[in-house]
Amino acid sequence: MFRNGARPDHATGPAAEALRLVKVTKSYGTADSAVTALDGVTLGLAQGTFTAVMGPSGSGKSTLLQCAAGLDRPDSGIVRVDGTELTGGGEAELTKFRRGRIGFVFQQYNLLETLTVAQNTVLPLKLAGRRVDRRRAREILTAVGLGDRLGHRPDQLSGGQRQRVAIARALVTEPRVIFADEPTGALDTRSAREVLTLLQQAVRVHGRTVVMVTHDPVAASYADSVLFLADGRLAGRLDAPTADAVAERLAHLGDSVTAGV
Amino acid sequence: MRSVRQRPGRFLATLLSAFLGAAIIMTFNSMHDTAGEPGVDAVSSETLGTAAGVVGGYGTLLVFFAVASTLTVNVRQRAAELELLRCAGATPAQLKRMVVGEAVVVALVGAALAIVPAMLGGRLLLEVFQDSGQVAESVDHSFGVIALMSGIHVTLLASAGAAFLALRRVRRGRQRHGRARSFLAWGALAAGAVAACSTFAFSATDGALMAPPAYGAILLSVGLALMAPRLLKGVLGRLAPGGASGWLAVRNLRRRAGELAGILMSLILFTAVSTATLTMQAVESDAVAASGQVKSVDAKNLETLNFTVVGIIVVFVCVMLVNSLYAATTYRAREFGQQRLAGATPGQVLGVVGAEGLVLTVVGLLFGTLAALAGIVPFTLVRGDAVLPEQMAGVWAAVASIGAAATLGTSLATARRVLRTPAVRAVAATA
Repeated sequence: MFRNGARPDHATGPAAEALRLVKVTKSYGTADSAVTALDGVTLGLAQGTFTAVMGPSGSGKSTLLQCAAGLDRPDSGIVRVDGTELTGGGEAELTKFRRGRIGFVFQQYNLLETLTVAQNTVLPLKLAGRRVDRRRAREILTAVGLGDRLGHRPDQLSGGQRQRVAIARALVTEPRVIFADEPTGALDTRSAREVLTLLQQAVRVHGRTVVMVTHDPVAASYADSVLFLADGRLAGRLDAPTADAVAERLAHLGDSVTAGV
Repeated sequence: MRSVRQRPGRFLATLLSAFLGAAIIMTFNSMHDTAGEPGVDAVSSETLGTAAGVVGGYGTLLVFFAVASTLTVNVRQRAAELELLRCAGATPAQLKRMVVGEAVVVALVGAALAIVPAMLGGRLLLEVFQDSGQVAESVDHSFGVIALMSGIHVTLLASAGAAFLALRRVRRGRQRHGRARSFLAWGALAAGAVAACSTFAFSATDGALMAPPAYGAILLSVGLALMAPRLLKGVLGRLAPGGASGWLAVRNLRRRAGELAGILMSLILFTAVSTATLTMQAVESDAVAASGQVKSVDAKNLETLNFTVVGIIVVFVCVMLVNSLYAATTYRAREFGQQRLAGATPGQVLGVVGAEGLVLTVVGLLFGTLAALAGIVPFTLVRGDAVLPEQMAGVWAAVASIGAAATLGTSLATARRVLRTPAVRAVAATA
């Protein structure tokens, strides 16, 4: 007689979207010299997916990531992370929006030199005023293979190790979406493989959503699907990519711009 | 030369210290010129000579330190550029010539700019001496060869020497601070302690009573300043503030204790020298006034000198403090960007900077005050009967607030400006 009135929780629903962009436009510069970096991009990424964004230099990859991650504000259009719309406001508000929802992995690691590995990892929690669970932090660091390096400083680590710290730091806040900007850009192939595997695990094991900007077809082949970007517009999509297929597609991206959209 | 024209802003601090230095040196050395005019009586001549001699000496030293400090910062900021030039085939000698040449050009401009203000300043200074009756009314101010030449020479030499030193310091990095530094530090502390204690050997009315404790305080503050990094670390070991900003600030300071030592040094010296000198002068003046005597010309000279010397030190240390803090904070744009990307709001970043500034200020004031007290207490014990003069409170409050305002104001204002760059770009700029 009584039906349970509570509907299934939005976040756990099967088709829950982790990220949604609607007609996002962004241009830089003023009047005459304005460059359109994003030209009405619309896309949606389901939760628990690993997506690579590819395109030639200047195609708007980084701008897309920055707008989607709340690091920059689009000129027009809507950005929704985990069902919450990213609205205007100062940097402080954007920062508070990002905390807990979004994690970052950058090409240049962006670890603080003055802090140890363990301290760097828990920094986002400290800044957000959340409870710092040191055991959990150690678990994550052990999972990325740095359990024995907790007291080291970033300058005592190799590039690959630093990037793994960055991944641990992105995981510790348990964000909905992890944005990775050329995470393997400065790494040798072996370290790159480890880092990409860790990102894959973040999706498969921890159920995170990962968006990775890259220009490396091999890196992109670790993703579930690849989105191609050219001149600020989406120029196609490739599911279950292989490195060769991605490279092939990338080589002909110029031709397909008109046909692709 | 071209590099100066391209970025005049970078040389502003150096120019400012060269200008101030040249102006002060010329102002006081014009007293030599004035004293050398025919028809100046002996007392006036002596007053003018002492003033010029003492402040001239102090001034040279200060110009040297101030220019050296601003140039070190400048050269360090340009480390990348200098490295590039080295890779492009510039020999060390060429680099040296470039940096020293730039310093000389800036010093020349500073000295040239200083001539007119120094003429006006000299006239004012003479009026002060005349009003207090130290110099006869009939003496006319003259701005002659001595003032001009000494001003230009001292500024040029100090700048060239400072540039030389700055380049060496930057190239050497931080290798040989260890033993020589702690030896100097202990030496200064010991000499300071002896000087302060020797105050007790004088009687209350000795004319030179003020000298030993003043030197004691200065030497002690030099010793403490040399130990600044260690003192800072010691204090930080005991700090465990709450909040993310405080947590981050303490960790930053612990790692950067060596770099921040320069700032702490200026603060300690500033606090000690100005508090000690001004308090002792106030005690002395009050004591003379209480006994109903009239001050002798010598005593008046001493008073004027004390005030001018402290004034000069305050101005220079402020320039140095503001400059090095500004440079240090600008240099951290990338670090601030990283903090913001890790989830710090701009407010939290400012909180970190503020907390760091606060710790620096408190530590600097604390040790500066200790050094000052070491000079003041013996002096007042001998001169009056009290242990702590009541005049000290006001002086200390003024000195402390100037120091705190300079430290906190500069770092927060600079950080605010740095934070205007979007975090992503701040991180990429130097990547």
